Amino acid sequence: MSILKCSDPIALNLWYAIAPLDEVLIGETAQTILLEQPIAYTRNHTGEIVAWVHDVASGGNPETDRLPIKERYGYFWTSLGTPDADIFPIPEYDEQDRRNIHAASFGVNVSAPRLVENFLDMGHFPYVHTDILGAEPHTEVKEYFVEVSKERDEILATNCKFWQPMAAAVASGGMDVDYVYRVPHPYSAVLYKSNPTDPERMDVIAIFIQPTSQETLRVHMLLSLLDESNDDISIRLFQQTIFGQDKPILENQYPKRLPLDPRAETPIRADKSAIAYRRWLSDKGITYGVIPAAA
Amino acid sequence: MIKLYDYELSGNCYKLRLLMSFLGVEYESKLIDFYPGNQHKSEGFRQINPLGQLPVVDDDGLVLRDAQAILVYLASKYDASGKWYPRDNPALLGQISQWLAFADGITATASAARLHDALFYTQIDVDAARAGANTLFRILDEHLYFAEEAGQDWICPGDHPTIADIACFPYIMLSEEGGVSRMDYPAIRRWCDRFKRIPGFTVMSGVFPAGPAVSGSIVSAA
Amino acid sequence: MTTDLQSNWYPIASSSDLPKRHVYQAQLLGREFAVWRADDGYVNVWENRCLHRGVRLSIGINNGTELRCQYHGWRYANRTAGCTYIPAHPADAPARTICNNTYPAQEAYGLVWAGELAVGELPAIDGFESATVLRPVPIMAPQKMVNQALLGYAWDDTCESAENSDGSVTITATDGSAVRVFVQPVDSNHSVARALYNRKVAGEERIALLKRHSWLMQELRDRTETQAARQETPAPYEPVIAKVSEDLVDIPAISVDGRKADLRVQVARKEMTADGIASLRLEAIKDQLPTFQPGAHIDVHLPNGLVRQYSVTNGPGETDHYTIGVKREPDSRGGSVAIHDTVGEGDVLAISAPRNNFPLRRDAVHTIFIAGGIGVTPLIAMARALNAQGLEFEFHYFVQSDDHVAFKRELSEFEGALNIHKGQSPKETGETLTEVLANPGYARHVYICGPGPMLEATRQIAADKGWADEAVHFEYFKNTTELDDSNSFEIDLARSAMTLTVPAGKSILDVLRENGINMSSSCEQGACGTCRCGVIEGDVIHQDVYLSDGEKAEGRSIMTCVSRAASNRLILDI
Repeated sequence: MSILKCSDPIALNLWYAIAPLDEVLIGETAQTILLEQPIAYTRNHTGEIVAWVHDVASGGNPETDRLPIKERYGYFWTSLGTPDADIFPIPEYDEQDRRNIHAASFGVNVSAPRLVENFLDMGHFPYVHTDILGAEPHTEVKEYFVEVSKERDEILATNCKFWQPMAAAVASGGMDVDYVYRVPHPYSAVLYKSNPTDPERMDVIAIFIQPTSQETLRVHMLLSLLDESNDDISIRLFQQTIFGQDKPILENQYPKRLPLDPRAETPIRADKSAIAYRRWLSDKGITYGVIPAAA
Repeated sequence: MIKLYDYELSGNCYKLRLLMSFLGVEYESKLIDFYPGNQHKSEGFRQINPLGQLPVVDDDGLVLRDAQAILVYLASKYDASGKWYPRDNPALLGQISQWLAFADGITATASAARLHDALFYTQIDVDAARAGANTLFRILDEHLYFAEEAGQDWICPGDHPTIADIACFPYIMLSEEGGVSRMDYPAIRRWCDRFKRIPGFTVMSGVFPAGPAVSGSIVSAA
Repeated sequence: MTTDLQSNWYPIASSSDLPKRHVYQAQLLGREFAVWRADDGYVNVWENRCLHRGVRLSIGINNGTELRCQYHGWRYANRTAGCTYIPAHPADAPARTICNNTYPAQEAYGLVWAGELAVGELPAIDGFESATVLRPVPIMAPQKMVNQALLGYAWDDTCESAENSDGSVTITATDGSAVRVFVQPVDSNHSVARALYNRKVAGEERIALLKRHSWLMQELRDRTETQAARQETPAPYEPVIAKVSEDLVDIPAISVDGRKADLRVQVARKEMTADGIASLRLEAIKDQLPTFQPGAHIDVHLPNGLVRQYSVTNGPGETDHYTIGVKREPDSRGGSVAIHDTVGEGDVLAISAPRNNFPLRRDAVHTIFIAGGIGVTPLIAMARALNAQGLEFEFHYFVQSDDHVAFKRELSEFEGALNIHKGQSPKETGETLTEVLANPGYARHVYICGPGPMLEATRQIAADKGWADEAVHFEYFKNTTELDDSNSFEIDLARSAMTLTVPAGKSILDVLRENGINMSSSCEQGACGTCRCGVIEGDVIHQDVYLSDGEKAEGRSIMTCVSRAASNRLILDI
């Protein structure tokens, strides 16, 4: 194997979603980049997905440069290192009555941690997702809880509420919607959102980020919904509309890498899940896609 | 009602949503799973447009493709004021056509770079696309600088924007998604502000609205 | 690395690049700027980065008085760049220390000049006092290469060029016409040629001149870029990203009564705005006044030694002065009388920076202001802020008679929202208020300021009508202590060998500062972790969001800006 450009051992040993399973076709080899390393993948004639380190000169050897593969949540995952843990659980994905939809994979010119932080953020709803996920003057981020679960090594933000226009099934207008956020992987996050269909259960939206470099990424978006009234295409396109609104914000963040020094930017109480995330990354010693706090 | 075969993230579809919003024309959006579904290349859609491209409109059985062509059609038919596409003014029509072709150039460069970066159109030579976009932006920025010098707010002469402005706007506004900064084009940036203040302006994902103008005028007075 | 370059003035825009309600994007030596002209004409040159999450402010909104970040709607004031409002926490006043990085700027010769570390006046550009600004042309080449190329710039055979001591190039023709070109170093391989022509021309002649030079300069650009492309591209400049500012949290000067009055202002105008009420316009003697928020007050130190608090009535963006209203209270101990009788125009007063204990929420669907007499002053600032944002409100002003209506000009901005209730008895006032407060509801808020009895009555009526406590906001013109800092305790500073008492109403941070211990802080609301301090012994009441639950349970550190002792004593590792 050629020498890897990424030297962050933690990043190298993580699992990454690379492509939706139904886009990996027998006899078609595709290329992508993971942590600055070109990789190639295909589905062989036994139906098995194979991925390998791609060498620009030789094309690489699918046998000797073979990468580990897992299939999970509708994507195949790989790693450039030797992961010491399995892919984090999303138990809801296997519930029989849910619709699991791949919304899209998009390229964004920003670091992976900036995107995770944006995904955890509610305060921007009225300004970025105007009249969809929020609307002025209902701008308050109410107190919520954040904990870092030692046992599961993930961040959990609960009791999050944000006012959403047209949230109620009746057309009377907006109401508070409940959210729960999980960060179970340095470059992936899962959100749970209350839905009008079933008060006991929540819709799930997950982002799995494949960092292509420290400042560019591919994000794979999974929806696992209880929705019975909309077709797959409109659900998928709605999610793309939302993401398309975040994209120019993300690409206008400077610096592109997430600064971990507490004095680099100005957090407020509303950002406490982001504060926990930055500290969690610091404690892990992650260096890829971040500006570490000075020692 | 007009049916627009539509995709939210398409700047070419946005051109038509803009014009119909400016004109107050009602339409129905038929959403196409452009990405990742490639529905515009499906057999069903190629029977509507053999080129396999968005947008397409179906106006009471008349099916038209190509954003610029549809702008011409919709403005000719639905703009009673005749200001967006002044059919009785040959000189202006010539200029509008010239800038509609220019807008196609923006699509071939700035939009191509965006498709490369955001939707992994890896066959595109992104450096060439960005360089091409910058060449066009330099020309448009100089044009708009001298338009302002002449007291004109829009791409074509006159006191009202035309479909040339609509055709150029979306992929200029989205250029940063393809790695093309607009910092070097201050006259284009001011024109974008003016464009966003046209009554009836609507946004798409990736485009934010402008703030309020000084005392109601859409022209940002110096 | 580039210190010498950073201390120069460079043109970064033409004046005409900055129409009102626009945000211009510039860059100098790798540092990006958001440049915007406020409605009062002032040109702001700020770092192009919101301090909250780093989003470029050049994609934000210039509303004429403030710049609004596109990401979370944070508002930053004209001139001071101080944050005036954080929509995610509508009930809080933003910490004073949240202030964007600004850079020296001046507008002269039709150009906007800036420099990251520029000092002093812009040197005179002799012979260009009445000049025409030519169209600026960006060039993807290093500044030095562009300068070299400019030595060959010519519009006729008689042109001769020379480099000036400031690095600019002057080209002169024998007919006396001259062009002076300044090259703005955008980045190591990116420049903008900004030129002045030494005559003012108009009409057709102007257009022809501009076109000719635009063409010639673009020809020069194309040649220079071809040359630059043959060379190895130099590495881009790497501007240092400054940490969030600490400079507003310096150790306060300890005055007799513990109040800080480090601003000096001049009374620029004093006039009677109503019977018995003077309005004073206070302007900074040097530098800028700190950012105020609607509802804020200042301490005014009077010539007779008294200190009095007065609310700032300014609208958003009026950052070059503070206007206060002072009612003559003959029965008082002499504060207001001193202002009425002895303070005159031209006098210098010591004042504190504005403090806001009466923050305005801007997330209400409807806001009701109820003012009694001189209590109108903070509510004027609040209503002006809502008015500028187009948010809905009604304004009730109770006065004895028409002669007692203060700040009529400012009130007239409120048009249909203004209700002046004149000469009502307490009973009639009660009836009016009962009507005004008839409809509590979701996201409806009331702000009251006035004499004590009226305030009590209004709060009672609001409670009777079913208004929730948190929807009724009032100010007694006294600092109200917060509920969560009501205990008193001692702190032992282990390394400094000091024992200090933290009284109710003061934070540990306040007490440390008063005693000359310099503790860094940033957000001052327990979020950023800057003022973290180790705890050696004692139990802590944690009120921050920075420490994790585990760390809080461990009790080994404390956020000194908000957290307190649960025990009588804390030993801190300072």
